[in-house]
Amino acid sequence: MLALVDVWYESDGKAILKNINMTFEPGKVYAILGTNGAGKSTLAYVIMGLEGYRPTRGRILLDGEDITDFPVTERAKRGITLMWQEPARFTGLRLKDYLTLGGKNKVSDEEIKRALEMVGLNPHLYMERLVDEKLSGGERKRVELASVILLKPKYVVLDEPDSGIDIMSVDMIDHVVEELAEKGSCVVLITHREEIALKADHSYLLCRGIVLKEGHPGEIVSFYKASCDRCDHPNEPTERIDEGLRA
Amino acid sequence: MIVKDFEREFEALARAYERAGGDVSKFLDKRIASVIISGDRVIGLNGVEGVVLKPSKIESGVQVDMEIGAGVVLEHPVHVCTGFLERKGYQRVIFNITLRRNAKAIFTAHCVFPWAEEFTHDALMNVRLEEGAWMEYHDEHMHSETGSINLITRSIADVGMGAFFRNTFTLVKTRVGKLKVFMEASLKEKAIAELFTKVKATKDDDVEVRETIKLDGEGARGLAKTNAVALDRAKVSVVNEMYGNSPNTRGHVECVEIAKGEGVEVSALPILIVKNDLSELTHEASIGRVNVKQLQTLMAKGLTEEEATELIIKGILT
Repeated sequence: MLALVDVWYESDGKAILKNINMTFEPGKVYAILGTNGAGKSTLAYVIMGLEGYRPTRGRILLDGEDITDFPVTERAKRGITLMWQEPARFTGLRLKDYLTLGGKNKVSDEEIKRALEMVGLNPHLYMERLVDEKLSGGERKRVELASVILLKPKYVVLDEPDSGIDIMSVDMIDHVVEELAEKGSCVVLITHREEIALKADHSYLLCRGIVLKEGHPGEIVSFYKASCDRCDHPNEPTERIDEGLRA
Repeated sequence: MIVKDFEREFEALARAYERAGGDVSKFLDKRIASVIISGDRVIGLNGVEGVVLKPSKIESGVQVDMEIGAGVVLEHPVHVCTGFLERKGYQRVIFNITLRRNAKAIFTAHCVFPWAEEFTHDALMNVRLEEGAWMEYHDEHMHSETGSINLITRSIADVGMGAFFRNTFTLVKTRVGKLKVFMEASLKEKAIAELFTKVKATKDDDVEVRETIKLDGEGARGLAKTNAVALDRAKVSVVNEMYGNSPNTRGHVECVEIAKGEGVEVSALPILIVKNDLSELTHEASIGRVNVKQLQTLMAKGLTEEEATELIIKGILT
């Protein structure tokens, strides 16, 4: 189990995440909802342990082991990975080399082909392509999803996997998430899309860096649609919550 | 074919050539045009139909005039091997290459200096492409690990109407020493040129790259690109230069340089000069440390920082 215990993260003296308590279990899907600027991507970076995203308070535990101070690679070796909202592009790196991490990830050509097919990319057309600027945003996202499939992670944070991908492909994302969960991965989905969030087992709603609500995805999505979509004070939760946290 | 009395020299060169990634069998295949130079001698030569190769001796080196006849399309690349098997010396090589109208040829060149310590290699390539011709010249270098080689390689290309010219220079497997790569192409109407240099410099290697494309003819297009990695205390200085001299010309210059090491120094200078208001030139450069997002992306998949850096560099130099 991956647990965030009273995690705070500050940047330039400003608290971006406050008192985050979350637990993630293998084989389950979690949806993180929140308006822009709520701290969703920051949460993803804190979980992954990216440079500059060490919690200022609190602990991150993986199966009871305190990994708060672990660097990215150590976390990845323990089975945590992250798909960026806008994945990086590389110069001259072939897709096959990227997916196999230059041979470090021992996967067969068959597995690669299957992963590419799952994300809607024709292996014959893409295997030798470069993971560079010539791939469209949607193609790059699909490559990243294929990479996640091949990594077989224990925990994966997908930061808005649906952004930049056409609406017709939402089923593909569902299918990938389902397969990951079936194979025992825990999927943490950061999304704005209701139909994707509703597939989760559990949801968290972030607002200005705090967990405003958590519970069944249907309940959270309904609250989000009723309150956050039309919010006249986005990322300004009630004073009561804010003051309670400061205390 | 191999000149009599030079078989043993060819064998020594062949071993170094294969280590450089070359395929020696190509030099023994009569269907493939080839030139083998060792020091100041041509020790192997094979012409095929439509290809005229004329070697001559010059001071401290060799000149080879190569001509591909009008309409001749070579099925196999012309193989060129320039070697120097001594430890010290000076070698001058001049290639004058002409492709007549609508001819098409690809050149694969390997320069191998496996044991050179105090050595200067001075190469000049003059290229003339007539209307509709197509030429690619891929030059890969394999030096010794002493880092004491001086290498000056210059190419000057006159690319005719509707012709295509691609010139690549690669030195990524061994030490560089002091390297100057100067590529220049002048393009006539609707001609296309791509100049591309890939270099990995380590220790106290010193590299200077200058790629210049003059878009003189209407509708001409050019790409000048350099990918370089500088490690340790190496210095790499790059100038990519493009001139938009005629209407409807388009050019792009691009430079990617990674610097890693104390005392390392890299620079990139794009020069774009437009002399016609219907010309469009663009540039793109990324120099300095390995991109953090790229690094973290790979590290989030389990690679160490060193492994991630290696994979990123491999991509840049491939």
